[in-house]
Amino acid sequence: MIVAICFVALVLFGMPIGFAIGLAGVVGLIDMGGTQFLQIGPSKIFNGLNIFPFLAMPFFILAGEIMNDIGITSRLVKLAQVLVGRFRGGLAHTNMLASVFFAGLTGSATADAAAFGRTLVPAMVKEGYDRDYACAVTAAGSIIGPTIPPSGLMVVYGSLMGVSIAGLFAAGVLPGLVICLVCMAVIAIGGKREKLPKAMRGASPREIWDTFVSSLTALAMPVIILGGILGGIVTPTEAASIAVAYALFIGIFVYRTLTFKGFYGMLVRTARIMGVIFVIIAFAGILGWWMSFERIPQLIAETVLGLSDNRYAVIAIIICLLLVVGMVMDITAILIILAPVLVPLTEQVGLEPIHAGIIFVLALNISLMTPPVGACLFVLSSVTGEKLERISIKLFPFLIAEIAILFAFAFWEDAALWLPRLLGYAQ
Amino acid sequence: MRNWAENASAKINTIVEAIVAALMLALVLDVWLGVMDRYYFHWQLPWPEVLARYLMIWAAMLAVSSGVARRDHIGLTAFIMALPYKLRRGVLICMDILALALFLYVAWFGISFAQSGAPRHAMIFGASLAPFYAAIPVAALLSSIQLILVLLRDMGTHIDKPPFADHLEEELS
Repeated sequence: MIVAICFVALVLFGMPIGFAIGLAGVVGLIDMGGTQFLQIGPSKIFNGLNIFPFLAMPFFILAGEIMNDIGITSRLVKLAQVLVGRFRGGLAHTNMLASVFFAGLTGSATADAAAFGRTLVPAMVKEGYDRDYACAVTAAGSIIGPTIPPSGLMVVYGSLMGVSIAGLFAAGVLPGLVICLVCMAVIAIGGKREKLPKAMRGASPREIWDTFVSSLTALAMPVIILGGILGGIVTPTEAASIAVAYALFIGIFVYRTLTFKGFYGMLVRTARIMGVIFVIIAFAGILGWWMSFERIPQLIAETVLGLSDNRYAVIAIIICLLLVVGMVMDITAILIILAPVLVPLTEQVGLEPIHAGIIFVLALNISLMTPPVGACLFVLSSVTGEKLERISIKLFPFLIAEIAILFAFAFWEDAALWLPRLLGYAQ
Repeated sequence: MRNWAENASAKINTIVEAIVAALMLALVLDVWLGVMDRYYFHWQLPWPEVLARYLMIWAAMLAVSSGVARRDHIGLTAFIMALPYKLRRGVLICMDILALALFLYVAWFGISFAQSGAPRHAMIFGASLAPFYAAIPVAALLSSIQLILVLLRDMGTHIDKPPFADHLEEELS
């Protein structure tokens, strides 16, 4: 109890989440028996990080940094625009489709929100869209990034819970595409109400072909990553390192825009992002050890199953818990703390590990755009100057649609596991 | 005092970031070597995978201190922002001191952890594990130093006036 109180108090008083996890873990160790337990802290930190699949994360981040820097984003946006820009709300549809293309490069919702917040939101405002609506569309599309592989969150989940990362990647493809289609439907349905502008003219087949050809180098990246991993040719870490090599090749020899100074900055930024994520994982090593020593996961599992042992009720409880906690906490921290607690529950109700994983990832991705601490909302608010609450109001229909998609994939196992089963990752 | 702390923090961070960049480059090259070995050369080298893990841990742990210097490690601000300004500053100073205590704990017990690696051998040319385990106390010590410096630099004002806000704008653009 004292550990939970300590953690909540520290988080409320503004302590960074990773440090709060560490301090709560140390309090737990002291509560267990004093200095003899304090000695094991550093080894738990080291062992928590000493996991090979984690290596995929920095490589995917670095590949995304390079592709962003060398101007891939604008080519992908142009491709999306010639494909769907002709409809009412063309730029909103473009935003959504470009998020799908972008997802194959970075796997980060905040990178998507930052990039499109800088480029597409001003373009949409210029064309007559309300800024809060443009931000809401960008936020709704940004979560496609970590849903369609590669996804940093899937790497962390797979590494920690011993689930196939390739299987999780396969399971993310369909929900990501469905989110895109449903959000485009939401744009189309609300088009007249929101007075979305119509495009002046559609692109000619020649224009579409030329734009497609000029985007091929960018589109090849997800093909290399996904083809290699899902085809069973390379591991996610190897695919990520090949993605870095490919991005460097394009930046140096094709676009010739990559400089040594720029690359140095990308290496440092990648390490800094890793540092922020890894400090949470590192300190969660201490807290996680204390939790298993005190049998917390088993106690929580017994409590929830005491309420109901119905499979759908348990899934609904897990999703609601993740969405509520996701409103106030960093998603990596939630994953690291709650996955070991909640996954035993999913096992008890017979959920396939990859299915449980995709439910976790989808729920946490949606948390990235829920107020008050949705990271994508913060990024968009700071990049565009739009008020967070105004974006949240316009985001509401998209949020409802995405939560409905989450429940659909959670309750409909055949849909969630269609691609993993097809590729032999799930039973 | 504030200016001195700001300059010292920035100088240490510049050096740490250069080391981190070098480690990241070594990590990239090491994993490429592993991939080429597996698919082309077939030398069956046992060490690239092990070395990659240790390079990642060193790079990520050193980057923690960089994150401390730049206040990259974010927490929940909604509650603390509801407090009066003076109280908020006081609470944030206390949070920095508690975080400092955490890193000093890790640094102190991390030394004996690193020493425990001395008689054990990694799968990298029979090298001792001590240099790899040392990532934990070294990174914790660096983070402790940075926490003292940023505490003196910001004195609880970092949520109201985020340092490096201009740099963040540049990066996002």
